[in-house]
Amino acid sequence: MKHLKQLFMLFILCCSLVIPSTALAATNASSSSSSSSAVSSSSSNQAATDDSLQKIKQKGTLVVGMSADYPPYEFTTKKNGKTEYVGFEVDLAKQFAKDLGVKLVIKNMDFDSLLVALETGKIDTIISGMNVTNERKKSVDFSNTYYSGNSYFLINKADHDRFKKATDFKGKTVGAQNGTLQSTMIDKSMPGVKNKGLAKLSNLVIGLQSHKVDAVLMDEATAKAYAANNSNLVTFNSKLPSTAGDIAMAFPKGDKSLEAAANKTIKQVNDEDLINKQWIPQASKYMKSYKKQNTVLSYWRYFAKGVEYTLIITIVSVICGFILGTLFALMRLSKNKLLHSLAVCYIEFLRGTPMIVQIMFVYFGIGAVIQSMPALVAGIIAVSLNSGAYVAEIIRSGIQSIPVGQTEAARSLGMSKQTTFQEVIMPQALKNIWPALGNELITLLKDSSLVSVIGVSELMYQTQLVQSATYKGVLPLFITMLIYFVLTFTLSRILLHFERKMKHAH
Amino acid sequence: MPTKMIEVKNLQKKFKNNVVLKEITEHVDQGQVICVIGPSGAGKSTFLRCLNALEQPSSGQVLFEGQNLVGLDDKQLDQIRQKMGMVFQGFNLFPSMTVLKNIMIAPIKVKKTSAEDAKQTAMKLLAKVGLANKANQYPDQLSGGQKQRVAIARALAMDPAVMLFDEPTSALDPEMVEEVLKVMRDLADSGMTMVVVTHEMGFAKEVADQIWFMADGYIQETGQPDDFFDHPTSPRAQEFLKKILK
Ligand SMILES: Nc1ncnc2c1ncn2[C@@H]1O[C@H](COP(=O)(O)OP(=O)(O)OP(=O)(O)O)[C@@H](O)[C@H]1O
Ligand SMILES: [Mg+2]
Repeated sequence: MKHLKQLFMLFILCCSLVIPSTALAATNASSSSSSSSAVSSSSSNQAATDDSLQKIKQKGTLVVGMSADYPPYEFTTKKNGKTEYVGFEVDLAKQFAKDLGVKLVIKNMDFDSLLVALETGKIDTIISGMNVTNERKKSVDFSNTYYSGNSYFLINKADHDRFKKATDFKGKTVGAQNGTLQSTMIDKSMPGVKNKGLAKLSNLVIGLQSHKVDAVLMDEATAKAYAANNSNLVTFNSKLPSTAGDIAMAFPKGDKSLEAAANKTIKQVNDEDLINKQWIPQASKYMKSYKKQNTVLSYWRYFAKGVEYTLIITIVSVICGFILGTLFALMRLSKNKLLHSLAVCYIEFLRGTPMIVQIMFVYFGIGAVIQSMPALVAGIIAVSLNSGAYVAEIIRSGIQSIPVGQTEAARSLGMSKQTTFQEVIMPQALKNIWPALGNELITLLKDSSLVSVIGVSELMYQTQLVQSATYKGVLPLFITMLIYFVLTFTLSRILLHFERKMKHAH
Repeated sequence: MPTKMIEVKNLQKKFKNNVVLKEITEHVDQGQVICVIGPSGAGKSTFLRCLNALEQPSSGQVLFEGQNLVGLDDKQLDQIRQKMGMVFQGFNLFPSMTVLKNIMIAPIKVKKTSAEDAKQTAMKLLAKVGLANKANQYPDQLSGGQKQRVAIARALAMDPAVMLFDEPTSALDPEMVEEVLKVMRDLADSGMTMVVVTHEMGFAKEVADQIWFMADGYIQETGQPDDFFDHPTSPRAQEFLKKILK
């Protein structure tokens, strides 16, 4: 008991060491920049003393984070069956990368994950319709503004007569994407209105169409795009105070030289008015041309890719989880107090925390230490660790269900501990726990959908892409549900087959 | 002078505060058949399990072919246990393996015998215990007497120098006791060194070279079967025999 307590304290200590060290890295960066901040606004390259620009040029890629379900800012379409990011901010990002002379890499993630990703070095900059706010300025640096838009309400056409101005929404529910300026605006400037926040704008629009919310507050360009693409929706200016949102690129604190380079690109883009004159019209064209052939089924490749990744995550995690589970089961059964307590801590901690938190912790927390870790790897690690804890308990119960006489008989024949375990105990234990392991496998396949939060293109994530690309909410979900069911049903049949086979071999 | 196969010196065993074996000094010669008898709870099983170190003695020594087992590490014990076959009251066959595999597994995995040789030996042993036709069955398809004969064959497959039996017939229906005792009798006749914990007084009287009578954590009395059964000297033995012969 005492050991357990000590170990637990140790664990807490370790965790608290990891977290501040990343925070520390951030403050270091900001303190080093303070000397250069005075001159950074002059948009002169020489004035910047940090090496952020040089670093980008050295690695040859610019990693831009965006939340690509935001037409006409950024969204996905299909070109010759391939997913492509389009929208005026994608054009801006392309221009920026071109001016830097490096390759552009786009990372698509939830809007409210963008800031964390920037702070932990997963991305170099955010170009994602991000409004400049004082609060955000505390954690990131902003470039000069490249676009300003008002906030618009998107409503159902049928409600056109009921809702004409912001005050008409008293006592109603208005939705906004989590972490956006509009979400704050509802709270601050629309008293008596219930704020419904979701991570995906597309889900909010589905909610609007099924009357879960009465309106969705979003920026002008996006609202107009939705209205243009759906004849059942209309939009109007909210005219709320502080409604003009200045949109700018976000950089990690202190990346002044990179920011200066961005300002140069932005100045040129603004001078030529490229956004309004070329890029937004082009983006609208994409939206229209895809509206025609935009059936959900034409996105089957999205689903196929999703299934592929879901299976990869499931299979790799099952194998790793099984190895981990066996290891921790043995540790938990070990007479060595230290190993035993370690295993207990691991198992209890992982079973006692939500998997979605674990996934984000691995990606953002451990990912801050190992910068180059891809989301897929982070997802697999998190799912494996989680599954390992559950499998450990299953295996432990399996081992404990074998009578000690089996071990004694094997040992008295001269078999070593290891041989006894491998040849005598484990085969019998496996047979006993096969159904439980099968359940765990099916749970894991379903739970792998949680990995979509960190942007791994598994089935659930792909579904969200299809939703935002087709402006349809329910059908893609229904198809995904069917796919999951077919997968789990097939799997459980296969497992049952082996279970029967093992029984027959008896 | 016969060579000493097993020697026990001042053996003591306690579980927590419960002293089960108080002070035992005895030895088993090569080729000897010892039958250990005594009332329930006397410590017979514990004693037998100390002989192949399934239980670690609390103090004292257990020597096998001159080597002290106390304080050896796992690897060295694995070596020694190969030469000491053990048969349990509850058979402890491996239920997931066929009869043949049960017998072959230890030679293959421990002695690295080839599968072919192991199979040959196994079939020979199965014939010896009269179960050649059961080779491909699973343990739960066998009767108790058959299971115990397979268990004996399994232990013999390692070619042990001594065989330890812990009440091998106690879990059997009466009509199956004889088939197991016959196998054991044959084994004794072939010159195998044996230590048998048993309640089968007839078998002990007929087969044993020596009877060890255990009670209250001591070996109270040892002697030739005839002497022991006709003229027990210790009061505990007299009391015990009176009870079971009644
Ligand atoms: N692993 C153990 N832990 C604690 N006490 C034990 C353990 N094994 C045996 N004992 C105790 O040791 C004593 C002797 O047990 P043992 O099994 O050796 O007796 P026995 O002579 O074989 O009896 P029986 O004829 O019933 O088999 C008993 O009181 C038993 O409770
Ligand atoms: Mg006993």
